[in-house]
Amino acid sequence: VDIDLEELAAIIELLDKTDFTQFRFEKGDLRIAVSRGGAPLDGVAQAGVAAPVSAAAHRTADVAAPAQTVQEAAPAAQAASAAFDETELGPDELLVRSPLLGTFYRSPKPGEPAYVEVGDKVEADSVMGIVEVMKLMNSVPAGVSGEVSRILVADAELVEFDQPLFVVRRLP
Amino acid sequence: VTQRIFVANRGEIALRIIEACDRLGFETVLGVSTADRDSLGAKRATRTVVLGGPQPRDSYLSVPAVVHAAVATGCTALHPGYGFLSERSELARACAENGITFIGPSPEALDALGDKLSARALATRLGVPVSPGGTTASLAEAERLAPEVGFPLLVKAAHGGGGRGMKLVRTPEELAEAWPVAASEAEAAFGDGTVFLERFVTDAKHVEVQILGDRHGNWIHLGERECSVQFRYQKVVEESPCAALDAATRSILTDSALAIARELQYVGLGTVEFLYDVERGEVAFLEVNPRLQVEHPVTEQVTGVDLVREQILVALGEPLALTQEDVTVTGHAIECRITAQDPGRQLLPSPGTVKRWRPPAGGGMRLDSHVFEGYRFPPFYDALMAKLISWGPDREAARERMVRALADFEIGGLVTSRDLLRDIVAHPDFAAGSVTTHWLGDSLLSTEVPA
Repeated sequence: VDIDLEELAAIIELLDKTDFTQFRFEKGDLRIAVSRGGAPLDGVAQAGVAAPVSAAAHRTADVAAPAQTVQEAAPAAQAASAAFDETELGPDELLVRSPLLGTFYRSPKPGEPAYVEVGDKVEADSVMGIVEVMKLMNSVPAGVSGEVSRILVADAELVEFDQPLFVVRRLP
Repeated sequence: VTQRIFVANRGEIALRIIEACDRLGFETVLGVSTADRDSLGAKRATRTVVLGGPQPRDSYLSVPAVVHAAVATGCTALHPGYGFLSERSELARACAENGITFIGPSPEALDALGDKLSARALATRLGVPVSPGGTTASLAEAERLAPEVGFPLLVKAAHGGGGRGMKLVRTPEELAEAWPVAASEAEAAFGDGTVFLERFVTDAKHVEVQILGDRHGNWIHLGERECSVQFRYQKVVEESPCAALDAATRSILTDSALAIARELQYVGLGTVEFLYDVERGEVAFLEVNPRLQVEHPVTEQVTGVDLVREQILVALGEPLALTQEDVTVTGHAIECRITAQDPGRQLLPSPGTVKRWRPPAGGGMRLDSHVFEGYRFPPFYDALMAKLISWGPDREAARERMVRALADFEIGGLVTSRDLLRDIVAHPDFAAGSVTTHWLGDSLLSTEVPA
């Protein structure tokens, strides 16, 4: 995943109008961590702090699922239009978001068991559902490992890009 | 059935469409990118869905995301606005396949008009004036035709798409060089080595006719607009009517536009563009834009017709509520496109935060804009911030109102084209109505140091 300065600037611009203290964004091998108000970033080497927003973007060898956005428990930069209140997330909880707009399916075919249920353990490459866009099926990888603690969207519902689909609790 | 319109666009035109739907009692669903979640359009639409990321290809240019969102939200029709997917027959077809009314012409009309040479062939067949030109099968033939066409001229493949392999030729020597290259390129790309020569008009006014058609065989025109103030083919100031046209030339333009509309059984709003060579008194067909135009407000101000409303209604199958006799042009309107572009740096984009935004108020003024104080102008899309439109009983009154309104418009936080626009409308050449499409680049935005 390549990110250019213009995109980085736009992300920071968008963040600047929202209320948060820490923001993390991971996509492929790209990681962006932003902290506000001089607060130290949890577990990330800081690349300089400047008020009001400082950004540290660097590449790591971490494996994150492609086209998948994962956000830690920091308050959401932008709430999706779904009613889910992301400030309710526990400190050990992560969101799995929709990689694109489409119809969300919990199982491979109608009548078949769902890919995941609450309590299931998932790995980063586990498939958690399907998003169908104009007859094209796109799998939703977890992107994180842990235990599914909440399912936020019903089967066959329209999901928007970036909308939270699942809450996954990190296991100790 | 309550109509629910999917708005597949952003910025000021999304607001304009939502506003027209509101007055019709129609619901709206706006598809946005993540960068536009907090836009004014997102606040005004009945519902907003996030299509994808900020880059247009991930959101506003994604046919699957747009159509899927429209279907899943129960929309009955889709308005594509201008730019983005508005001229893509692929979108019009996908809408039809999914039972959604596309607010625009048929996919066939979009295809026929999308290719400039096929559009020119259509115009020629209908007796619509086109710039001098013709097809040539050999260099000798081209050398015979060239003096009739006149230099400079354009050399391009006669069959096949768009401007591929197009070359500007200024002398017979350049033609001898360019012709064989164009022929072999045409042969390689399209399997036909026929080459087309066309006069390249260097100095002319841009004049366009607004047309509107319904599904019941009715077509009207709503007069013309002049858009000669351009920079690198980007329109900067537009007006209606075109003060330089005489009645006979105006008839040629409007008759031609209606002939094209009838031939294509054209449904909806369209704009037929021409170049008008004032000195020679000649007009030449350019192309048809099969969509709502940015500059539609000037036509609305002088005709009193709500073009977006009429466009939506005819797409939904309503017969035209207007006849040609109902359309009269009253007074004069001028539109200035206020953009986040730096006139001091050849109109380089200058996105940023709008720290101050105090539009002028006054009689005869209209502002179409999605900008508000504190708005963060995103870097991903076009630079249009607002369209300021003045109306007056005559051109001079509209022009004076515009000069004053631009001076009173307070904008802070980012560099805009406001001061350039004021210099344009206050310029003696603009006041005289003599500008052509090269005027702005040769005068106020010229990079050459004055002697």
